[in-house]
Amino acid sequence: MGIAQENRVEVKSMLTAVSSKPSRSARVHPFTALDNAMSPHTLHVIVYYPRSPFGSFDLDSVRISLSELLSMYPPVVGRVAKTPDGILEVKCNDAGLRTLKAKVCVGIDEWLRSADGHDESDLTAWGDMPEDPSTWAPFRLQINEFQGGGVAIGLSCPHRQADATTLTVLLKSWTEAQRRRCIVHPPSFSPLPSILTDDTDAVKPNSATISKPISTKTATATFRFSSSSFKKYIEEDGIFPKASPFDVFAALFWTRVALVKRKSHDRVCMCVDFRRLLPNPLPYGFFGNALNFSSLEMTNVADQGIVHVARLINDHVTNLTVEKIRSDLNRVGEQELMYGGDLTIVNMEHMIVEGDPMMYEAVFEDGVRPVHVSYRIGNVGGEGVIMVMPSPEKGFGRVVSVTLPEEEVSKLLVDQEILRFEPKIILSGVK
Amino acid sequence: MPQAPMPELTSSVKLKYVKLGYQYLVNHFLSFLLIPIMAIGAVELLRMGPEEILNVWNSLEFDLVQVLCTSFFVIFISTVYFMSKPRTIYLVDYSCYKPPVTCRVPFATFMEHSRLILKDKPKSVEFQMRILERSGLGEETSLPPAIHYIPPTPTMDAARSEAQLVIFTAMDDLFKKTGLKPKDVDILIVNCSLFSPTPSLSAMVINKYKLRSNIKSVNLSGMGCSAGLISVDLARDLLQVHPNSNAIIVSTEIITPNYYQGNERAMLLPNCLFRMGAAAILMSNRRSDRWRAKYKLSHLVRTHRGADDKSFYCVYEQEDKEGHVGINLSKDLMAIAGEALKANITTIGPLVLPASEQLLFLLSLIGRKIFNPKLKPYIPDFKLAFEHFCIHAGGRAVIDELQKNLQLSGEHVEASRMTLHRFGNTSSSSLWYELSYIESKGRMRRGDRVWQIAFGSGFKCNSAVWKCNRTIKTPKDGPWSDCIDRYPVFIPEVVKL
Repeated sequence: MGIAQENRVEVKSMLTAVSSKPSRSARVHPFTALDNAMSPHTLHVIVYYPRSPFGSFDLDSVRISLSELLSMYPPVVGRVAKTPDGILEVKCNDAGLRTLKAKVCVGIDEWLRSADGHDESDLTAWGDMPEDPSTWAPFRLQINEFQGGGVAIGLSCPHRQADATTLTVLLKSWTEAQRRRCIVHPPSFSPLPSILTDDTDAVKPNSATISKPISTKTATATFRFSSSSFKKYIEEDGIFPKASPFDVFAALFWTRVALVKRKSHDRVCMCVDFRRLLPNPLPYGFFGNALNFSSLEMTNVADQGIVHVARLINDHVTNLTVEKIRSDLNRVGEQELMYGGDLTIVNMEHMIVEGDPMMYEAVFEDGVRPVHVSYRIGNVGGEGVIMVMPSPEKGFGRVVSVTLPEEEVSKLLVDQEILRFEPKIILSGVK
Repeated sequence: MPQAPMPELTSSVKLKYVKLGYQYLVNHFLSFLLIPIMAIGAVELLRMGPEEILNVWNSLEFDLVQVLCTSFFVIFISTVYFMSKPRTIYLVDYSCYKPPVTCRVPFATFMEHSRLILKDKPKSVEFQMRILERSGLGEETSLPPAIHYIPPTPTMDAARSEAQLVIFTAMDDLFKKTGLKPKDVDILIVNCSLFSPTPSLSAMVINKYKLRSNIKSVNLSGMGCSAGLISVDLARDLLQVHPNSNAIIVSTEIITPNYYQGNERAMLLPNCLFRMGAAAILMSNRRSDRWRAKYKLSHLVRTHRGADDKSFYCVYEQEDKEGHVGINLSKDLMAIAGEALKANITTIGPLVLPASEQLLFLLSLIGRKIFNPKLKPYIPDFKLAFEHFCIHAGGRAVIDELQKNLQLSGEHVEASRMTLHRFGNTSSSSLWYELSYIESKGRMRRGDRVWQIAFGSGFKCNSAVWKCNRTIKTPKDGPWSDCIDRYPVFIPEVVKL
């Protein structure tokens, strides 16, 4: 991983994909306080397919279904503008989605085996919003073709404008449009329900939209745990009956990372999507940020057993009530960085709908399911992020990706407790 | 003040009836002469009674030789007449290309690309924005895929693939609509002004559809936006020479290689207006097509003003200071177009105008020449000669100018304005999109006359007059099928960008 190698991803061309129908009204999409609090971060989703649905690219039917889908998402093809009061909002002017085409000089299997976090970041477009965002495309799609077939579709945007669920639903809807199926989760642009926003102040003008880059050198590694390893753990170590795979794997990584960090006080930030946690649940198609960030503390977590920590996590997540969500929303402006100010654990259990992980249901051609889906957050704080994501195999398996300072990741890769679960390690740069 | 307008109203109504009465009198003059004569003759015959008629008949003393000679003479004259009559040329059907939604160019995308590519030339960007605001184009016009790239990639390959995309799609649609088999095509004419590869576009069509080896194919290039009607003229002449034949005309303009990449203002104008489009037309002189043909070609008049230097140089392709090739449009384009139109009208007027208008024009001409040179020239009312007008959608200014010169109402130029809004300036194929608009609106009835006017570099003004052969039902597919219900739209003078 320390060997410097040239870029294996080469961007060949850039164009702008437009929506199929003009959005007739001069609509404006405002940002909520939560949206603005997410502003230092960027969000990137990368979906790997073993076979590319793209052909000549310019005349593909996939491009036409993308255009039709973009007509349903005016904020995705709009541009960010500042009102005279200095408040940012999206002008839905149909300018389009920037689309880049890139070629990767290795095959997809080789990539998954040997690429590291830095390599993977070449698969999507990065870059912060400039001072004058009128010609800057916030949403950028990158189509990366691997040698010998296979494609990685990367979609990135400022975290201010969308969260992981929004981007996942968008990609899944694209595949549904391509296969001429009914779109299961159409977008919803209504604001957050009043039950959550009654106490919040009016949206304040953004004071620091561009933050300093994070100085510590971070690395990313992805661990794939199968269903059987979870079951094996339950048999061997015993766990309380209501434990979900998230509780177990989050607890596992929290304890091992705490050990590696050698910290005395142990506080994590738990990131949970609250779309389905409200008494009137928001639809999955809700466009924007619907994330709850709450703190969780446990002393000397490194010495605690996983069972104990898992129970704490379980209690914490189950007790997320509307009042708790509302009070957390009120406090969003207080932190500078939502991810990584404390070690952040991201919960994606809500993406498993009726046993099927939503991101792995984004299928362009029958029988060609994604082999892997990565989520990356940009400008993460020094404490790092642990993301517990659904696994392509349905069931109790999970895919955990960690973004931490380099030395901590290299220690985790040889941690015996983690290796006991027999994970398949990918995208860690290990040759 | 209700009293004051009333006398004007009644006087204008009176004037209208006077005009109508005059037109009926002059246009049907012969009938007015013949009917009384026939009536008198019939009355005389009835008065005479059958025996007297027989007596008169017998007194004429016809003998066999005289009767035979007279009948042979009559047959001979009628044969000469029918043989020398030019063949009727039919327009069986036509098909216009509808670009895919991925090629759409919203205003915001066009301006953003312009800003990104011309980032050192804000004045040129400003200029393009002002042109686009006043252009009369809508948000659904299309540019070929290569132009959507930042920066555009106008390779020869990309130009060929645009040509293949637009031409083959239009021709496939035409073959499907008319049931024509490719091997039955006798004449093929392709016109595309600015892209002329080797082998030619007509050879490309012959290769794709495996047309016959003895096909008469012609490829016209460099003839500008009026090349569509030049192709129709050529097809007509070829169909006069070859009996029992059909001809396919493909009119298009390939945008990819001609997207101006420099920043000279006068040459940036075409980038804002020219858009992707194509049309394929099937013409025939076969008697069997007379039932299913949509139109009959009545007249085609071509006027070339190239002898005048100002007209010749007004649309000029040249390199700018940095070596980028573009088309320079001179500032007196509108004046030159007006003159070319006048020349064309002078030729076509006598062919199409009813006798009443021609008489008025003649009287006013005599009056101006002999009595008072300061008399205003009488502009004949072309609305009496045609039901529909298709003015080449070269730009808003062209349509405005013609509407003013020919005194046309908003509805007459609606097809042109709406085509400019929906498809932009598609060059030689725009006339066919406009005709399709009129058909899609269900306005085309049997016997309606259509006047197509096209302007082109050179400077040329060509016009064609078609007569509708059968009432045309609203087409179910076609370039307007998904949006005709939204039209006509109000196009503001300036769209704020």
